Amino acid sequence: MVLSKYLIGFLMLSVGGVAAYAQPAAPMNSTLAGEDWSVEFQDRTSWWSLRPLMVGPPPDVSDPGWSREPIDRFVRKALDAAELAPSAPAGPDLLLRRLAFVLTGLPPDPSRRERFLLDLKSDPCSAYERLVDELLASPHFGERFARHWMDVVRYTDTYGYESDNPANGSWEYRDYLVRAFNQDVPFDQLVREQLAGDLLTLPRLDRNLGINESMVGPMFYHLGEHREGGSLMFNGIHQQMVDNKIDAFSKAFLATTVACARCHDHKLEAIVQRDYYSLAAVFMTPRWTSRVIDAPGRNDAAIAKLKELRDAIRRELATIWIAHVDTHDAWTMDMLRAKLERKEETATKDAAAPNIEDVAYPLTRLLNASEEVSNIWRELAREWRETRSQRLNANADFHPLTDFHAPQLPDGWIMEGDGIQHGRVDDGVPLIALEADRIVSQLLPRGLYTHALSSRLPGALRSPPQHEVPGQRMSLQLTGGEFAGYLVVQGNGFKSEQIGFLKSTEPIWKSFSDPILKNGVGRVTVEFATTALNPNFPPRIGLAGGLPPTDPGFDKRSWLGITAIVTHETDGTPQDNLDHFVSLYEADAPSSSEEAAARIREWFTATVRRWCEGQLRDGDLRLLNWLLANEMLPNKLRDGTRAAELVNEYRRVELGISYPRTVTGMDERACRKSGYPIDARGDVDQPGELVFPDFLRLFAGRHRVAQTNGSGRLELAESLVENEHPLVTRVYVNRVWQWLFGSGIVTTPDDFGHLGDSPSHPELLDFLAREFMQGGWSTKSLVRRLVLSETFRQSGVTTVAARQRDPANRLLHHYPTRRLEAEAIRDAMLAVSGRLDPALYGRPIWPFRSAEDTTNKRLLSGPLDGRGRRSLYLQLSIMEPPKFLVGFDLPDLKLPAGKRNATNVPGQALTMLNDPLVVELARIWSVRLIEESHASVNDRITAMFVQALGREPTSIELDRWSTALYDLCGEGGARVMSDQTAWRRLAHLFFNAKEFIYYR
Amino acid sequence: MTTNRNACGGCLGRVAPADSRRAFLQQASAGFGWLALQGLVGGFAASPARGLEGGAGSPHFAARARSIIFCFMDGGPSHVDTLDPKPMLKQHEGREIGDKAVSKRSQSAANRVWFGSPWEFHQRGQSGLWVSELLPNIAGVADELCVVRSMVGELPLHGAQNLLLHTGRILGQGPSLGSWVSYGLGSENLNLPGYVLLNNDWVPNGGLENFGSSFLPASHQATMMRAKGVPVDNITPADSTTIQRRQLALLAEQDAEFAARSSDAQAIEAAVANYETAFRMQTTVPEIADVNREPDYIRRLYGLDSSDDHQRFYATQALRARRLVEQGVRFVEITCPSFDGNNSPWDQHGQIKVNHAKNARITDQSVAALIVDLKQRGLLEETIVLWAGEMGRTPHTPKISESCGRDHHVNCYSIFLAGGGFRGGFTLGETDEFGNEVIAGRLDIHDIHATLLHQLGIDHERLTFRHGGRDHRLTDVQGRIVNEILA
Repeated sequence: MVLSKYLIGFLMLSVGGVAAYAQPAAPMNSTLAGEDWSVEFQDRTSWWSLRPLMVGPPPDVSDPGWSREPIDRFVRKALDAAELAPSAPAGPDLLLRRLAFVLTGLPPDPSRRERFLLDLKSDPCSAYERLVDELLASPHFGERFARHWMDVVRYTDTYGYESDNPANGSWEYRDYLVRAFNQDVPFDQLVREQLAGDLLTLPRLDRNLGINESMVGPMFYHLGEHREGGSLMFNGIHQQMVDNKIDAFSKAFLATTVACARCHDHKLEAIVQRDYYSLAAVFMTPRWTSRVIDAPGRNDAAIAKLKELRDAIRRELATIWIAHVDTHDAWTMDMLRAKLERKEETATKDAAAPNIEDVAYPLTRLLNASEEVSNIWRELAREWRETRSQRLNANADFHPLTDFHAPQLPDGWIMEGDGIQHGRVDDGVPLIALEADRIVSQLLPRGLYTHALSSRLPGALRSPPQHEVPGQRMSLQLTGGEFAGYLVVQGNGFKSEQIGFLKSTEPIWKSFSDPILKNGVGRVTVEFATTALNPNFPPRIGLAGGLPPTDPGFDKRSWLGITAIVTHETDGTPQDNLDHFVSLYEADAPSSSEEAAARIREWFTATVRRWCEGQLRDGDLRLLNWLLANEMLPNKLRDGTRAAELVNEYRRVELGISYPRTVTGMDERACRKSGYPIDARGDVDQPGELVFPDFLRLFAGRHRVAQTNGSGRLELAESLVENEHPLVTRVYVNRVWQWLFGSGIVTTPDDFGHLGDSPSHPELLDFLAREFMQGGWSTKSLVRRLVLSETFRQSGVTTVAARQRDPANRLLHHYPTRRLEAEAIRDAMLAVSGRLDPALYGRPIWPFRSAEDTTNKRLLSGPLDGRGRRSLYLQLSIMEPPKFLVGFDLPDLKLPAGKRNATNVPGQALTMLNDPLVVELARIWSVRLIEESHASVNDRITAMFVQALGREPTSIELDRWSTALYDLCGEGGARVMSDQTAWRRLAHLFFNAKEFIYYR
Repeated sequence: MTTNRNACGGCLGRVAPADSRRAFLQQASAGFGWLALQGLVGGFAASPARGLEGGAGSPHFAARARSIIFCFMDGGPSHVDTLDPKPMLKQHEGREIGDKAVSKRSQSAANRVWFGSPWEFHQRGQSGLWVSELLPNIAGVADELCVVRSMVGELPLHGAQNLLLHTGRILGQGPSLGSWVSYGLGSENLNLPGYVLLNNDWVPNGGLENFGSSFLPASHQATMMRAKGVPVDNITPADSTTIQRRQLALLAEQDAEFAARSSDAQAIEAAVANYETAFRMQTTVPEIADVNREPDYIRRLYGLDSSDDHQRFYATQALRARRLVEQGVRFVEITCPSFDGNNSPWDQHGQIKVNHAKNARITDQSVAALIVDLKQRGLLEETIVLWAGEMGRTPHTPKISESCGRDHHVNCYSIFLAGGGFRGGFTLGETDEFGNEVIAGRLDIHDIHATLLHQLGIDHERLTFRHGGRDHRLTDVQGRIVNEILA
C-alpha cells in the first residue's frame, strides 16, 4: 500500500534512515545533482512541514473550563506559557456580525439578529450553535468560501495580455466551487477533481443540474494569464505559461515554491530542477482544451427522438419522391430549360467558366444544342471519361485515413460532444430543415457531422499530433458555418491564433502540413470544433470575421461536417471523381434533343429511386442535392401533411435541446506521454534532454506516476490525498484557520518552506489536519469546530500585557479587528441598501467602466451597481479588473494569493466619499428608509445602526447622528422624516464609518 | 540639490523634502500621529522600504534626481526613423536582407527587404546629436538628450515587452517601476500619490498590470489621471464642501470611538487620516490638473493651442507632468493616445509614413516643451525625462510600397533620457549599418532600471520586498549602473 510506504518513508527520514525508494536517483547530469546534493536533499526532507503529523491529545491547561473544543486547549496552553489570559467572550452583537461576515461575507440580517437575541434569552446554550448551523447552511456560505479558494488559484474571467480574451468556462468553475462548498464536498475529492476530474472513473454527477461536476475541476489549470500565440513563432510563450501553472499548483496545494526550481535545484527546499520539468511534463501531456460538462446522457432522449423522427421523415420523403418520379411530367425539357436559364441569369455576375463537376455542365450544352446532339454527347462523355481517369490517377496520391464506414475513428483521433458523437451518417441521411418551409436542407454524404441532428449540439474532432499522422500533409474535406472552425495547437499553446472559420455548405478541402518542431514544442495538433468546444472562441477581435466585438460568443448554433480525411506527401487536395455522371454516360448517345432530355430524366429518376430504395451509388448525392437546391424535387412543407407533422415535431424537439455547457479543461484520451525539455538555467533557447511525467521526488520517489500511459495527473492527485500526506492537509487546514481568524497558524499560507513562517501552534496544526482527514475532509465540520470554539468567541479587547508580549496576536489572546475584503464592502452596501440580488451563479457581469474598448480588446462596461449581484459575479478581467475592488486590495489576478493585503490609502476614502456607486446605494437605502414607517428620527437612526452595524446606537450616538441629520438637511428641512437628501447623506455616512468596513 | 520647487509647492501640501516627517507632524491636523501611520502605509506617506531603513526620503546614497517623467511611446517607435540614422538602408532599399539578418528578436525572414527611412536625419545642437526630421522639436533640445541606441529586448511582442519595460519581467507578475520608486522613496506630498499615470482611457498591451503595484502595497500603484473629463476617479465631491465638512466631523467622532474600542486602533486611525487627505485632494488634485492656470506662452509651448484633439490631450498631460513633479510626485508616466485601429499607438505595420508622422505630431512638441520648461525652471537637473517605447521597428519590410510599414524589432532599439544627471548631447551604443543588431554597448532594460534607481539614490540590489518565498527586486538578478551615460 502506498499509504504505509509514505508513513514508513517519513518515519525513516525523520530518524535519519534512508529508504530505498526515497533515495534520489543517480544524477542525470553532474550539474544538476551530485553526491553532496543527495545528502543535502535528505537533510531538507526533515523540514517541519514535511515531517509526519504529530499524534497527541489536546494538552492539559490551567483552566479546563475554557474548552468548548479541543483546539481551545492548544491555544490556552500557549497562552499559559506566555502567562497571558484569553479575553472575555464577545457580546452577542459583535459575535453575530463577526460570524455573519466570516461565514457568508454579508452583514447579519436584522430579523436574524432579533431572533438570535430572543434565542439567547430562552436558550443561551444552543442559540449560538443554531446560528452557526443556519449560517453554514446558507447558500452564501459557498459563495464566501469559493471566493477564498479563488484567491488561492488566482481566479480570472479573462486572459489579459493583449486582447483580454475570455477564459472560457471560468464562471462554471466559480459556480462549481460555490456548489462544492455548499454541499461540503470533501476536500480530497476537490483536489482529485481539480487535478484530474476528467479522469475519474466515477465522476460526481449532479443529476438535477445535469452536470458532470468532476469535469469542471480541471478548469483550475486554465486560470491565470494566457498569452496569444505559440512557441513555434516566438520561443518562450508556452514555457512562461507553464511556469505560472506550476507556481499556482505548488503554492495552492503544497505551499511550496516549486517554480523556484525552473533554472536550478531549489536553493532551500527539497526540490530539484528535474522535479519542475517532471511536473511540466505531467501538465503538458494532456490537451488543454474544451470539455463538455453536461452529465452524460443529458440529451439522450431528445437525440433518440430526433433519430426516430428523422427516419420517419426519410421514409415519408421517399414515398413522396417515388410518387414524383412516377408522374410523367417530372423534369420535362421545358422545365429543365427554364431552370437552367434562371440559373444563368443569377450566375451572370459569376464569370467563372462552367465547371465540369457541375451537374448543369452537360445539361446546358445538351439542351441548348445548336449542332448534332450525339456529337456533343460523345464529346462530353469523352471529356468526362478523360477527366475522370486523370482525377482518379491523381487522387491515388491521397490516402484516405478513414472513409467513415466504420464507427471508429483512426488511431489517435478523438471526438467530443453529443453532436459529433451522434453525427456519423451514411450517404443520403437527410438533414432536416430547422426553419423555412422546407422539409430537408440537404442530403448528407457519409461523414461525421456535429449537426446531423441539431446545430445546438456541440462537436469537436481532435487530431493526433500531426507527426503521428502518416504523410507530410493531411487534408480534410469540411463543411461548416456559424463560427465552427479549426484551431492549430502548438504543444499546448494556450491561446493559439492559428484559427480559421468555416463558411460553406459545400465541402471544401483544408490542408495541414507537418510543421517543423522547435522551441520545445513536441507536437502540433489540429482541432475542428463548434464554438462551444473551441477553447479560443471568441478569439482576438477581428480574427472571427463578422462576429461583433460585443458578442460574447456563447449559446449559439454552430456546425461542421467532415467528409474525408486523407494524408499525402505533396501539395494539392483530392478532386471530385465525377462519379455523379456515371449513370448518365452509361447510356448510348442520344440522337435528338428530346432523346437527350429523356436520358437526363432517366438519369435523375434512377438516382432518386436509388435514394428511396437505399441503394445509393457514389456520386448520387451530388446530383440529388443539386436537384434539391434547384427545387426540382418536392421539398415543400405543406400544412396538414404527414411530412409537415413530422418536421414540426422534429423542430419542436430540437428547440428543446439546451445549449451545451463547457469549460476549458483537459483531454488526454489517446494522448501519448509528452516529454518536456529541461532548460539549462531556465533558458528556453538551451533545451536539454526530455523529462517525462513524474511527481516531486520528495513525495513520490522516482517514476511514481510514470507507470501509467497518461499524464499521471490522477496518480498525482491520489498521491496527495490518499495517504496521510502531511503537507496538503496542513496547508489546507491552515488556510481555513486563516479565513476564520484573519491570520494562519502559519502566517505565510502559500509558503511552508524555509522562507515561510513557522507554525505558532504546531501541535494544533497537526491535530486539526489529522481530525480533518479522519472526519472525511469536511470543510464545514472543520469550520464548525473552529467557530464554536472559545478561541473564536473571544472579544476583541486586549490588555497592555498582551499587546506587549505578543503584539501580533500570534497566540490569539483576542479576536483581531479585521477589514472587510473588497467584495464584502461592496456586498455589504448592496445588502444594507436593499439593492442586493441574492441570486447565485451565472455568467460574469461586466464591471462598470468609464470608457469601453471594443476595437482591440473586449473591455465593455456594465451597470453601475452590477445589477445588484454580489461582487463574486463581477467579471474579473486581468487587463482591467473592476476598479472598486482593486481599490480595496483585490489581489493581482495573475498570482496565487493565499493572503490579502488590507491597505489604507486615501483613494479608498475618495471612493467611499464620492464613487457614484456608493452615492447611488446610499440613495437607494434612503428611499427604502423613508418608505419604512419609523415613528421618529431616533427610531430610524436606530434601524440604520442595526442594518449597517448590527447593533443599536448608544444615546450619545443617537444625539450625534440626529444632530447631524438636521445639519445635513436638504431644502425640505421642515419635514425631516421625508427629506430624502438628508437621509441619503446620513446613509452615505454609515457606509463611511470605519465600523462599517471593519469587524472585530 | 536645487529645492526651488518649494517656493510654489508648499501650498498644495508638499512637504519640505529635507524634513518630511517633522513637517508632517507639524501640519497634521487630524489628531492621529504620523507614527501610527508609519507602520501601516497610511496615506501617501509611504513607510520606508525594506533596505531603506533611513525612512522615506532617505535613500541609500545621495540622489542626483528626485523624480522621473516617463514618456511611454506605446507600440514601438522606429529607431531607424528617429534616433539611429542608417543611410545604408536607403542605398539597399528593396534588397533582400538574407538569412544572416534574421533574428528571433525581430519579425524577420530572409526574403524581406531593407527599407530606407522616409525621414532625413541631421546633426543637431552643439553636440551634433543625430535626430530625424520626424521629431523636429525634440531635435531642438538635442544637447539635453542622452540617447541609447543599443537597447535589446527579449521577445518582439507588445505585451511581453511592455511588461518587461514596466516591471522588469516579460511575465509581469511584479510591481511596476513607478511602484518600486514610490515604495522606495515614499511621496514628498501628503496630498498626492507617489506614482501618477497620465492616461486617456487607453489600456496598453499587458493591461493595467503595467502600472500596478502587484505584491507591493496598493498605495504604490499608479493613480490614473485622464486627459478628458474629470481627471481622477472619485475626485469630484459628492456633496458640497460644507456638507462634507459636517460629515467628516461626525465621522471623526464616531471613528475615534470605534478606534478606541478596536484592538487595532492604528489601522482605524490611519483610515481616518486618509479622509483628511482625501478631502484635501478634492481641491488640490483638480488644481494641479488644471492647466488653465498656466500662462498662455507656456500653454502654447506645450501645444495646448493645437486644433488636433490628440495633440491637445497629450500636451495637457505633459504640462500636468511638470506640475505634478513640481508638487513632489516621484514618478509620472504619460501614455500615448490611440487614434486609429492600431494595436497600439506607434505600432505601424503599415502606413508608417502617415501614422508615425501623426504620432510624432501628437507627442514631439510636448515632450520637447517639457524638457525646455523643466530646464527654465531649474527642475531638469533633478527630474529625469525618459522617452522610450517597448521596442523598435524592423529596418526591413515585406515589400516596399507607399503604404508599407515596419514590424516588431527588439534586436536593437533606441531610447533617450534627459536631465536628472544624465549626460546631455551624448549617444551610447552602436548598431550595425542597417540598424538591425547591436554591435557595441548592448544594454537591456534592467540596466536602465538600475541606473534610474541609482540616480534617485536607490541601490537596485537593496530595494527588495519579501513575497512568495523570496526577496524580489525590480532588476531580479540583473542590471548594472551604466556610468557611461551619467554626467
